[in-house]
Amino acid sequence: MRQFLSVIVFSLLTIGFFAGYSNFGIPQIEPAPPPKEEKLDLGSMTMDQFIAVGEKLFSGKGTCTLCHNNLGRAPLLDTIGEVAQQRLKDPRYKGEATNIEEYLIESLVKPSAFVVAGFGKKGTNDAESPMPDVSGGSIRLDEAEITAVVAYLQDSSGAEVTVEIPKDLGKKKEGGEEADVAEAEPREAISDPEKLIAMFTCDACHMINGVGGEIGPDLSKIGALRNRDYLRRSILDPNADIAEGFEPDQMPEGMGEQLYVSELEVLVSFLAGLK
Amino acid sequence: MNGPRSRKTGRTVKTGLLLVTFGFVVALVAFALSGFDQLGAIAAEQEVAADAAAASPYGPAPKLTAADYPSIAGINSRVAVWIFAQLHLWFAAFVLAVPIFVFIIEAIGMRTRDKRYDDMAYEFIKVSITAYSLTAVLGGALLFSLILFYPHLFTYLSTIFKESMIYYALLFFAESAALYIYYYGWHWLQGGFKKWVHLTLGLVLNAVGTTLMLLANSWLTFMMSPAGVDAAGVFSGDAWAAIHNFLWNPINIHRFVANIAYGGSIVGAYAAFKFLTATTKQERAHYDWMGYNANFIAICALLPLPFAGYYLAAEIYAYSQQMGITLMGGIFAWLFIIQAVLIGTLFLSANYYLWCGMGRSDGAKRYTKYIKYIAIVLVGAFLVWFTPHTLVLTNEELKALGGPYHKYLGPLGIMPAKNTAVNVMIIFTALSFMFYRRANKIATVSWVNAGNAIQVALYTAGIANILFLGIYHGYFTNTVYKVAASIPQVLTTLIVIVGSITLDSFIYRGGKQVGPLHWGRIPGRAQYALFLLAVSFTWLMGLMGYIRSGIRQHWHVVDIMRDASPDAFTPTLGYAANVVSVAAIIFMAMVIFVFWIAQVSGNKTLPAGYWKE
Amino acid sequence: MKIPRLLQAVLVLAGVYYGFIIVFDILLDAVIPSSLLAMYMFFVVAGVFMVFTYDEDQTRELVAPIKALVEDPSKRIWRNIVFAVVPLVAGAGAYMQMQPSFEAPLELRTIHPAPPTTAKIFGKRVNLLKLENPYRKFEKEDPEKFRELVEEGAIVYIQNCQYCHGDKLDGKGPYAAGLNPTPLNFQDVGTIAQLQESYLFWRIATGGPGLPKEAAPWISSMPVWQDFLKEDEIWKVILYLYDYTGHHPRSWESE
Repeated sequence: MRQFLSVIVFSLLTIGFFAGYSNFGIPQIEPAPPPKEEKLDLGSMTMDQFIAVGEKLFSGKGTCTLCHNNLGRAPLLDTIGEVAQQRLKDPRYKGEATNIEEYLIESLVKPSAFVVAGFGKKGTNDAESPMPDVSGGSIRLDEAEITAVVAYLQDSSGAEVTVEIPKDLGKKKEGGEEADVAEAEPREAISDPEKLIAMFTCDACHMINGVGGEIGPDLSKIGALRNRDYLRRSILDPNADIAEGFEPDQMPEGMGEQLYVSELEVLVSFLAGLK
Repeated sequence: MNGPRSRKTGRTVKTGLLLVTFGFVVALVAFALSGFDQLGAIAAEQEVAADAAAASPYGPAPKLTAADYPSIAGINSRVAVWIFAQLHLWFAAFVLAVPIFVFIIEAIGMRTRDKRYDDMAYEFIKVSITAYSLTAVLGGALLFSLILFYPHLFTYLSTIFKESMIYYALLFFAESAALYIYYYGWHWLQGGFKKWVHLTLGLVLNAVGTTLMLLANSWLTFMMSPAGVDAAGVFSGDAWAAIHNFLWNPINIHRFVANIAYGGSIVGAYAAFKFLTATTKQERAHYDWMGYNANFIAICALLPLPFAGYYLAAEIYAYSQQMGITLMGGIFAWLFIIQAVLIGTLFLSANYYLWCGMGRSDGAKRYTKYIKYIAIVLVGAFLVWFTPHTLVLTNEELKALGGPYHKYLGPLGIMPAKNTAVNVMIIFTALSFMFYRRANKIATVSWVNAGNAIQVALYTAGIANILFLGIYHGYFTNTVYKVAASIPQVLTTLIVIVGSITLDSFIYRGGKQVGPLHWGRIPGRAQYALFLLAVSFTWLMGLMGYIRSGIRQHWHVVDIMRDASPDAFTPTLGYAANVVSVAAIIFMAMVIFVFWIAQVSGNKTLPAGYWKE
Repeated sequence: MKIPRLLQAVLVLAGVYYGFIIVFDILLDAVIPSSLLAMYMFFVVAGVFMVFTYDEDQTRELVAPIKALVEDPSKRIWRNIVFAVVPLVAGAGAYMQMQPSFEAPLELRTIHPAPPTTAKIFGKRVNLLKLENPYRKFEKEDPEKFRELVEEGAIVYIQNCQYCHGDKLDGKGPYAAGLNPTPLNFQDVGTIAQLQESYLFWRIATGGPGLPKEAAPWISSMPVWQDFLKEDEIWKVILYLYDYTGHHPRSWESE
């Protein structure tokens, strides 16, 4: 028994020495806690994650990179932080912003507040911007998403990120687009094709009656070239046919979810009549 | 040897060889089948998958929240799973390792016809048989706690490994059957053909046991280096790909070697305790001999272990640099200092046991004068190995040194110095062992002086080469050579060890014995070296289990399934050391129970007047 | 005269202990840290114990004086003295240990924390695992241009870094004495020689505030140089650090 006890004591002392050395002989470094998971829970999001969300929107849902790229369709935004400061003092500036953040938000929802020389809608002498309002039309960024894009723009252009991560909008964002649609008040059907084109900013990319952008095919005489079925299909499924000389995946999908059937027919009839 | 006997022996040997070969083939086929069957199952599944077209039968890894982890008040779920897993692993390592060297010892006994080996092999397996049922019980406890506390992780893993889990269960039955026949049939299957059948059973037992370990390893390496799934964790249906993931084989090799060393150390502790409590001289001699053999097994497996460890670490680096940096730098850097203390303890106690054991021989005096030099080199190399990269300095020392870096001790903190030190330690441990072997022998060959000169030259050249590689490549070339230099260092060490043992066997061929070996003539202190070996080994395995699991950080399955539980944080070293210590004490208590049970069956009580006459 | 074995053991231990102190503190002028020395001595004691006790006869000789002290009736006076002195020494030791002092508590920091995979430097997110010094290639391609770049790096260094890190890059600049942690000594084989250039770029650009949590306490006074230097200046100064010290950056490619 004595042997047994001394062996036990010896073993316990050995374990005690190892444990003691591990606890007191070496520095106890507290490992960093696990990084926060990147989910769209705005409440617990860090600014870096919020900026990353903005970056995704910038090249994804926001379709900003369609034009703001190095092909010269729209101004590059890599120095927008610095440039915005000068814009505010520019005599041609028509908006109400007083700082960079406000200017950027304004540019996203009221693009014509300042049009960079040479980038205006054709024939408006740079008075009107071809850029659509990103909160409406087919892009439909919500307020939180616009804030995220602004955060990304500030961050990527080297400006100080001044936006605050919205707290109360978190829930709405998580619900996604479907929730948006469901919550939105049903609107009145529109029967004026010009209004529809303005609402969905088709002329941001398409030339219609000599006015509009050059990203999509010129629709000024489309009725002479294509029949109604083709036009309907192209609105509902933009990648079904790609006009020669144009890239696929440029036109936003989902028009079918946003237009009423009567409106679709109004548009198709209008386009078919352009000869 | 007379005619008929030798003819009979010859026949038995032939039959026996046939049987062993057959057993080996069976084992191999069993192992291969476990793969092929899965392939078959996979092929079938792929057809199903093709039928179902786009709808994959497997979903992505679940994204969990803290609410997905059931909790029981007062129980920390991670610690519970941790301790059960660790206890299961310790017992499993022990019961898988013991049959490996029992098989070898039995074969040696058959070869030498020395019954002592057979008795010892039987005693070893007797020790492990109670441990075997405890392994199963603890495995069940681990499974239960995993399902209870981490249900989603378990569900995800079992969808991927469902086939292998069935095979695991089946193999467990096979393992039990083989073990029970092997153990209970020991005295029945004796002599001639029967003995060969018994040895074959031992081989089958080992094959099944090793396959079990390989399967279990695949689950944990899948969690470290997932394969056979896409980035979202959707299983491709290829079970073999999931099993044969990147870190599977490195872990297999490391665990296989470490298990043998561990099994040896536990049996050594058993023998040491029996030695200390022995009452007769014969008993003391028997358990001394048993302890010596167990220690010998432990040392043989201990020597290549650092290399297996480096291989594993290198493969982790190769798999993911991120994981490699987490492993070697930052917070885990200090763990390797603790590891150095433990491995140093293992080497020192193993050497001490050898030196003490020299007292068994009357011829040892010729070599004992060298022991102090071996000790100086061992301790010196150990101090180098132990020197941390980041020194703990008081403010006064910081000022005196002019910075946190030490001009002379700093260079000892980096890898080349440590590689050099560990190689030197291994070579000198081998030298200790060589002296021990020589202690009782006198060489009779004519070229003994030349032979000794070659031995000296071999050791000198080997050590010089290791030092050159370590110092020149470690400090005067760029990183790629620094890392590469460790390979020739290891080769040098192996060449020196193998070369010197081979040469010695020739020098002492037909040599004389100084006198009979006095088994049992060893101080009790030496037995404590065996206890130290076993305890350090146990604790070290627990510690390394923590880092192996810890480098996954906040992932259940790295980069695929996130640990969202409140315990996802990496604990500090002190916390981990405390958990390991508590687990080690529980383990010790269970081992004592196992040993007690093993001997209680031999106790007989004769109650006078209790039974009707 | 044969020295008693117990005395031998004590002499060996004392010799090793003072040997360390004499060699490091006096001959090499680089003090041995007391925490390290304590651990060293622990294992030296273990080693001495092993050498002095592996043989039964020698062990008996070793412990004979201790045994005699405890058991021999004729040593009664000595015994009483020892039994009185040992607790006193232990008590004094405990007192000295626990006595409050003006020494600031030890601060244990990881000097080379694991770098993050990516870091935000100069407004860009860079992948530290892949980042390379854009000028390193000139070392072979255009040695003359490389020399020029190193010279430019030297100017950046002298203008910005040498105040703390020293004109010999040994961490002994004029302001070094006032700093804790002290500036890094680049000459040391354990500093930049162990690191990749991207690691230096990260440490220089983000400075003390950019250290991860495990390298806390965050008292490193290294400035956030991305606020003061240009990107190319940092890369050039890195070239200079390696060039002056003769170290090679850690790399996985053979030369």
